[in-house]
Amino acid sequence: MADFAAIHPLGDLDQLQGDGGEGISLTVVHGFQSAQVFAVSGKESALANKLKLGTTPGVATDSRTMTALPVSPGQWMVFSKKQDGAFVSMLAKKSNGLGHVSEQSDSRICVRVSGPQARELMSRGCRLDLHKSKAGKGFCAQTPTAQVGVLLHQVDDAAVYDLYVYSGFARSFWHWITHTAEQFGYRVNSLRL
Amino acid sequence: MHRIDCPWCGERDEVEFQYQGDATKVRPKPDASEDAFFDYTYQRDNPKGWHTEWWHHVGGCRQWVKVVRNTLTHEVHKTGGPQSKLPLPRRKAEGGL
Repeated sequence: MADFAAIHPLGDLDQLQGDGGEGISLTVVHGFQSAQVFAVSGKESALANKLKLGTTPGVATDSRTMTALPVSPGQWMVFSKKQDGAFVSMLAKKSNGLGHVSEQSDSRICVRVSGPQARELMSRGCRLDLHKSKAGKGFCAQTPTAQVGVLLHQVDDAAVYDLYVYSGFARSFWHWITHTAEQFGYRVNSLRL
Repeated sequence: MHRIDCPWCGERDEVEFQYQGDATKVRPKPDASEDAFFDYTYQRDNPKGWHTEWWHHVGGCRQWVKVVRNTLTHEVHKTGGPQSKLPLPRRKAEGGL
């Protein structure tokens, strides 16, 4: 019988080094768990309090163990800060009676975009105003970027963005972002949580 | 090009939305006549000026947004959720006739 091994949607693309330029750094983040959390109708506040999820649109909630991004009223995408096989079941247990939890760990990849030209790069494909007067640390949004649905989270006051991209679009998105980054010069890194 | 103010996400670009039709139509009661259902399903006005429409924020929060939009100038006057009552602009200063 054949042995099956899990492969990352980008395959070995993130092993490429980029062109060595200093403008952009693309870091593929591996090893996080994630889940979509939905509140039962009428229990939105109770669920948010129980799991300590922020309810302000466009504002991420960061804790020691997880990052929660509100994506819609009563709905969050939640990401673990480190590899934790029990993360999603812990969320499900805590949400009991207040909400539903759907395991999404393999549904998205995470590319962290940083470097002096990161905001410039994003402006090539993202229609949101990411100027520092509008978006700072903790800003998040679900928005099409280069025509691919992306969940964007700004992780620092400087222009550092975590882009969560559906696995099925990962390679296509990777081609766009590396092609666009060529004009600034870029490096590729890999980060395992 | 439209900029649509989603009640949840804030102002976003038109490409994030899908037009979903006339928001002024009200579903008839189940025992209403066939003509009433024909009208509800197929008959649409084609107004020149202000119109209340459904837009689906499919690229963002996936909520349905009610939008008062001018079909002539493409100006967006007001937006709201499905339950919002959004009167059309009447005074000239608001772009009314």
